[in-house]
Amino acid sequence: MKGNGRIIEYALSTLARRKFKNFSVAAVFSVLIAVLSSILFLTHAYKTETLKLLDNSPAIILQNMSGGRHELIPTEYIKTLSGIAGVGQIAPRYWGYYYDSLTSANYTLMAVDEGMQDVKLIEGRMPQTDTECAVGRGVADLRQAGLKDDFFLITGAEQSVNLKIVGIFTANSAILTNDLVVMTKDGLVKFFNMPADRATDITIEVNNPAEVSMVARKIRHAFPNSRPILKSELIRTYDNIFNWRGGIVLTMFFGAIAAFMIFVWDKATGINAQERQEIGILKAIGWETSDVLTLKFWEGAVVAICSFFTGLILAYVHVFYFNAQFLAPVLKGWSVLFPRFEPMPYIDIYQIFVLFFLTVVPYVAAGVVPSWKAAISDPDVVMR
Amino acid sequence: MDAVIRTEGVSKVFNAGLADEVRAIAAVSIEIPRGRITVFKGPSGSGKTTLLGLIGCMSRPTEGKIFVEGKDVAKLPERFLTNVRRKTFGFIFQHFNLIRGLTVRENVMLPLYPTDIDGRQMERRMEEILDKLDLTAKRAVKVEKLSGGQQQRVAIARAMINEPAVILADEPTAHLDTKLSEDFLNIVTTLNIDGKTIVIATHDPLIYDKPYIDNIIEMRDGAVKETAPL
Repeated sequence: MKGNGRIIEYALSTLARRKFKNFSVAAVFSVLIAVLSSILFLTHAYKTETLKLLDNSPAIILQNMSGGRHELIPTEYIKTLSGIAGVGQIAPRYWGYYYDSLTSANYTLMAVDEGMQDVKLIEGRMPQTDTECAVGRGVADLRQAGLKDDFFLITGAEQSVNLKIVGIFTANSAILTNDLVVMTKDGLVKFFNMPADRATDITIEVNNPAEVSMVARKIRHAFPNSRPILKSELIRTYDNIFNWRGGIVLTMFFGAIAAFMIFVWDKATGINAQERQEIGILKAIGWETSDVLTLKFWEGAVVAICSFFTGLILAYVHVFYFNAQFLAPVLKGWSVLFPRFEPMPYIDIYQIFVLFFLTVVPYVAAGVVPSWKAAISDPDVVMR
Repeated sequence: MDAVIRTEGVSKVFNAGLADEVRAIAAVSIEIPRGRITVFKGPSGSGKTTLLGLIGCMSRPTEGKIFVEGKDVAKLPERFLTNVRRKTFGFIFQHFNLIRGLTVRENVMLPLYPTDIDGRQMERRMEEILDKLDLTAKRAVKVEKLSGGQQQRVAIARAMINEPAVILADEPTAHLDTKLSEDFLNIVTTLNIDGKTIVIATHDPLIYDKPYIDNIIEMRDGAVKETAPL
């Protein structure tokens, strides 16, 4: 081992000599990285999971608007829609919201449709009669109900509708299904007292994905009061909700970055007298400035890289083993019920590289700069 | 007489232009003969340590020239100055300036870490020096656990590891009792016999009254008061 190899060996022994200080620094660094990484891991996992679940969404959801608000849509639109070139399968959807005064929570009630029969994320099965329902995990937990248990809803006329739970959505789909109660179409229409010729919205498939925007324009032209919602718009919306740059996540992210910068600034603004003296001694016994900088680079790099990966591991365990206990309530706040969501371990390598360059590089530089200032001074001045 | 180091009108001003400006030495011109023992003698604040630092390339003069092996080093860029320091000088500091937490072995080998000297050669050189200075048994001991005399021997070993032509010692007996001071002088004379040039800054009569001191440069108030080749 020559030159640089021995300097690296010496850097390690220097870290070991100041183990309490370096351990404290590494602990703070790791916690900050863990916070930042948890945010990135969690938002990315949510986004990926949600976008995967949206894969089966229709190309267009058509809503009827009245006074700028969403209204029930006439099912007779389907006949006109099927005449538009490029339009594929069309289906009305029936759904609405229900406030459950027993649990003080809002549920989303939805009629089972043909596409739902293939949903694999369920324990049990989908409802087949008007007296059956399938519920999301959050609803089941709130009502403390399981498969085959009774489930009642209060109608507007102060009467209750009794249903039997025949299916429960699994935790893996909780992000979309947590507050869901799925009923048969007839059961739901009756419950909400919806007119027979109306649906909540209409789903439309488009044969050629490249023509979705054009088809949407034609629909809007045919029904000026309607609002076609494209799948790409939904994806963009979810993307914005979960994107780490959005809203509260941005605040948390930059809070952690600010804490990290203060930490780095503290390091960059000076080295203690003992370290200064040691640099002076090394210079006096024949070390060049570049040797001192190599030493300080490795000291900083070892602490930063070890802390970075420790932080990453902590974040991984926090997010994917403990379901992001500290962060999930913040991010899942858009939902009426907090889903007991278990994020799947999707990781964006690009984000990790960005985090690495935002944290490790400034930290190492912050250690090298004050040492460089000491190293370019005359040794006897530094040692005084 | 062959001079290994020569200064011409060297001055050193600290905090130049500030309210607390200090002229540590002024217009000093001296010669350090090769292979001899030279002592800078003088009271505290006379400029001995500053002059020792200047001739050892530890700092640069404000004015004047310093010739080491005939080459003016006063204006050399930092990199070349380090090279001169590494190849020509070994330093023994007043407070030893050993690195706490490191063993005797590590402290002694420290000057060689950035060099390309082979590891086995480094070890061999270190073992020889430790043996000479009776430190072999202490090689794995952390330096802060050693006595003052032992620490000084470690500092001497570290100064010798680069095989320098000149050993510079700043107040080497300031923290030693008479017996240890004598031990130090014995080591120094041995080094001198081996051909090393020795320069000692001291105000300890135990050193400058010794008959084997070849050259005494007496300093006062930053200037050379008297040069006395003996």
